[in-house]
Amino acid sequence: MRRFSLVEFSVDHPGSVVILCVLITMLFIIPFPRMRTDTNPRHMLPATSDVRVWNNKVDNIFALHKDTIALGIANEKGILNPSTLSKIKYITDQILKMKGVAAQDVASFTTIDNVSVKNGILVVGPLMTKVPQHRKGIEALRKMLYENPLFVNRIISKDGKTAAIYIPLEKGANGKQIADKIREIIKREKGDEKYYIVGDPVARDTFGVEMFKLMAVFAPISGMVMVLVRYLMFRDLFLSITLMMDAMMSIIWSMGLLIALGFPVHIMSSMAPIFLMAIATDSMHIFNEFYFRHRETKNKRTAIIETMNSVRRPVRNTALATAAGFTVLIFMHIVPVRVFGGMVAFGTILLRLFSFSFIPAMFMFVKEEKLEKIARHEDIESDRTSGFLKKLAGIGSNHPKKTVFVGLACVLIALVGLTRIRVNNNIVGWFKKGSDIRVADSVMNKALGGTCLGYVVAISPGKNDMKTPEAMHYIEGLQKYLGKLPVVGKTISVVDYLKRVNMVLHNDNPKYYAVPDNKTTIAQELFLFSMSAKPSDLDNVVDYPYRRANIWVQLKTWDARAMKDVINAAQQYRKMHPYPPMELKPAGTAYFDLVWNNQVLWDMVEGFILSLVTVLAILILDFRSIKWAVVGYTPLLFTVLLIYGAIGFIGKDFDMPISVLSCLSLGMAVDFAIHFVGRFKQRLKETGGRESIEDALLWTAARPGKGIVRNAVLFAASFSVMIFAPLTPYITVGAFIVTMMLSSAVFTLVCLPALITLLQGWLLKGNAG
Amino acid sequence: MRGKKRFSGPEEKKPNGERRPRMKKYLILLVILLFPVQAFALTGDEIMQKYLAAFYYPGNDFKAKVMMKLISAGGEVRSREMTMIRKNYGPVGGKQKYFIYFWRPSDVRNMTFMVFKHPGRNADRWLFVPALNMVRRIAAQDKYSSFVGSDFSYDNVSGRPLDEDTHTLIKEDKIGSRDCYVVKNTPKAKDADYNYRLSWIDKKTFLPIKEEYFDKRNELYKVFTDDKIKDIDGFPTVLKQTMKNVQTGHTTVVTYEKIDYNVGVSDSLFSERFMQAPPMNLIQ
Repeated sequence: MRRFSLVEFSVDHPGSVVILCVLITMLFIIPFPRMRTDTNPRHMLPATSDVRVWNNKVDNIFALHKDTIALGIANEKGILNPSTLSKIKYITDQILKMKGVAAQDVASFTTIDNVSVKNGILVVGPLMTKVPQHRKGIEALRKMLYENPLFVNRIISKDGKTAAIYIPLEKGANGKQIADKIREIIKREKGDEKYYIVGDPVARDTFGVEMFKLMAVFAPISGMVMVLVRYLMFRDLFLSITLMMDAMMSIIWSMGLLIALGFPVHIMSSMAPIFLMAIATDSMHIFNEFYFRHRETKNKRTAIIETMNSVRRPVRNTALATAAGFTVLIFMHIVPVRVFGGMVAFGTILLRLFSFSFIPAMFMFVKEEKLEKIARHEDIESDRTSGFLKKLAGIGSNHPKKTVFVGLACVLIALVGLTRIRVNNNIVGWFKKGSDIRVADSVMNKALGGTCLGYVVAISPGKNDMKTPEAMHYIEGLQKYLGKLPVVGKTISVVDYLKRVNMVLHNDNPKYYAVPDNKTTIAQELFLFSMSAKPSDLDNVVDYPYRRANIWVQLKTWDARAMKDVINAAQQYRKMHPYPPMELKPAGTAYFDLVWNNQVLWDMVEGFILSLVTVLAILILDFRSIKWAVVGYTPLLFTVLLIYGAIGFIGKDFDMPISVLSCLSLGMAVDFAIHFVGRFKQRLKETGGRESIEDALLWTAARPGKGIVRNAVLFAASFSVMIFAPLTPYITVGAFIVTMMLSSAVFTLVCLPALITLLQGWLLKGNAG
Repeated sequence: MRGKKRFSGPEEKKPNGERRPRMKKYLILLVILLFPVQAFALTGDEIMQKYLAAFYYPGNDFKAKVMMKLISAGGEVRSREMTMIRKNYGPVGGKQKYFIYFWRPSDVRNMTFMVFKHPGRNADRWLFVPALNMVRRIAAQDKYSSFVGSDFSYDNVSGRPLDEDTHTLIKEDKIGSRDCYVVKNTPKAKDADYNYRLSWIDKKTFLPIKEEYFDKRNELYKVFTDDKIKDIDGFPTVLKQTMKNVQTGHTTVVTYEKIDYNVGVSDSLFSERFMQAPPMNLIQ
């Protein structure tokens, strides 16, 4: 009995195959309306992850809000004038009325608690209840602001030109929506003031929104670029669109499956369409070979079947390699990464399925004359590209030793670059330099204590321990120690409130701006403060049983490393001061970012190594030879090393997008080697030693090599669009993939001939003869 | 409901505006016949006047041990224990003096707090800090600010003057077995920290059974409930009340023990001297 051939079936029943594909595609569209999106990049760590559980606990203990937006109000002439102050008051009032704002804890001139003494009377209440209209009132306000370290660098800058309103958000509120509402309010304000909106929720939620917009804009543009480039290559719109349909169908099937399974579309999965589109370019090899074959046979049906027979193995194996590269991700820890891996692996396998059914079927609809016209150009003897590729491969095969030597030198240099790689991540850095968010953040960080917030929780063994002078001095010392770090702009703790109350109780005598010397006084002064101040003032910095204290650390940068510095410094301080016994634990957004960054990064590095092993295994299986696998592996490794070396030299942080990419690129970049080695060996077999190895190499470079280059160019073209994205991770993805694809194509065409020439004795032992 | 004997404590005076012309009476009777459901016999102002009398002004003076539990959203508990003494000077809504002695937390024991409430102007407050042996006057800048870190504001503790709000009876309702008037109280001043509060006032005792506070966005943010009411010396008295901030999840539960009315508190108690050395026989 004859074996069933999908290709032959498709060629014989092209109409049914196409209709079936379209019908199934429509089936997968059904779940689309149920699509849920999750725009929070931080949700890469599940709610049950240690850091999220701990941060929630800290938020609970100290009645903290997870998300805070800061609004900066700057006036070159100084903000302490009736006009600017009334704007601050008005804007604050409007903010208090917004849904999603934790109104009770908004910190602004009109809401922040101030403890002061006036004519012997203790005053605890909002710093500014009425806007002072005359000099006297303004001066009094200035004095109150600058004599209280809780205000300086927090709600007012040292130079008096910038004020800030801190707007904590209720759970589940969207930072971008609230930021947009604030923008509407400030847009209506006239005057010299400039406004800056900063804060993690704004950056994060803006990023989320932008990300989806980008995918909605860039995926289609990418697709169109690919159609265009294909058209330029083959001068046939119908076939270009066929290739696009192939990609679209796999995107729709995998997205449909993702949604149907109930997964939200996350930052990672939103990138899947563009990846699938790029992976679809592998079918280029079919087209490439088809035109050559058609030229030789002049028969469509035969050409298709012959083409499929000759490219079957490499096409299947590259698909396998790519799918395996992504499947590896399923075994990672980060859920959205796993979902993404599964989704792309599924899409890749579909693409291959289409390569053997849908694409051959579509070929049947193209008129013979048209094919002939295109195929006429496909001749390796007359074609310029093929000629160039032959020359390129000639470098390797004619000067194998020199090529390998140059390659080794490059590797050495790359290794030096590797050692310079700096692991870091900065969520605000995900926006471009001139963007509103970046500008606002740098202005605010210059003027005030820092927009990125982390906590250090001090935990003592027993109840009421925090009321002791020893504990208070300990925290005071720790604050001073942390304050020395260049990344730390300001710290706030219960000690700041205590010292303030103590001084005020002693009629503003600066001598008493200190921790009282006994526990009872400390307890009573704090109690006094809690009698009139907002409950959250103390709750935010000390827990109910006075066992744990929370030190707010404002950082001047969103670099994940900054919090690492804080943690290291805190541990050093702890070593230097063993008494009183105190445990110091980091928390807050800054800490989360550090953990998040590290976890995603190391997960990816792990995935990368796994990918490397898997890809090697697939090469061994494919070539049925460890030797050939090692040779085929070389251009890939070489490319990877060079790119990371370059990243090290350029000084670009090894951040989350890069780490994710490194994992993804392996499965795709190895394709070229599979095609090259596969077709080369096939050629040797076909010619049966009638052709020299050099000639076979040149033939491979000229014919399947053209497919490789076409594939790489197409791939690069589709991703190059992303270089124009407004968000840096997309630029990184674009630049990285473009470089990777082009260079690995070139390295494949140069290195492999060199290596094969050099190692022919070893490689072809008992093989070709 | 009309014609039923209304609650009349010893303090109660007939509020103005309760007399009605005969015609109106018949009219009301007619309305009652037409709408057998319920007729509003009292205006919002009248109800809140009676509420103020029943809740904040019963007796000439009042003494109780007050236990306050501050419960954080995370379930942690902070306890306050104090003796509270109140004395009325003048009619309902008039001047009052409060003397508060703290027992707990133990490190603030002997702290005393004194408030003079004046109609029409800010209250005077003093605090004695034993560790510094110092009496300090505290400015009452904000009546909405928290009372000793609880969810109760100073307004909640000593009562809000009637003329600071407009009171509208909006409906009648039943909470548990208690028939209530529901009055909407809207602050006249714009700087209030909430838009309005709804009060469920028990028709029998005129004590608040429940109150809901709506913030500037008209979102519910605080809920007050009376959890236990008992007759003491002829005064219906709240033994347990709760204030929950539904936005933060923070709750304060207050229970009263050793309640005494008309103990005959002398005026001299309300002085700096007694703040520093409180008469323990009275405080106990």
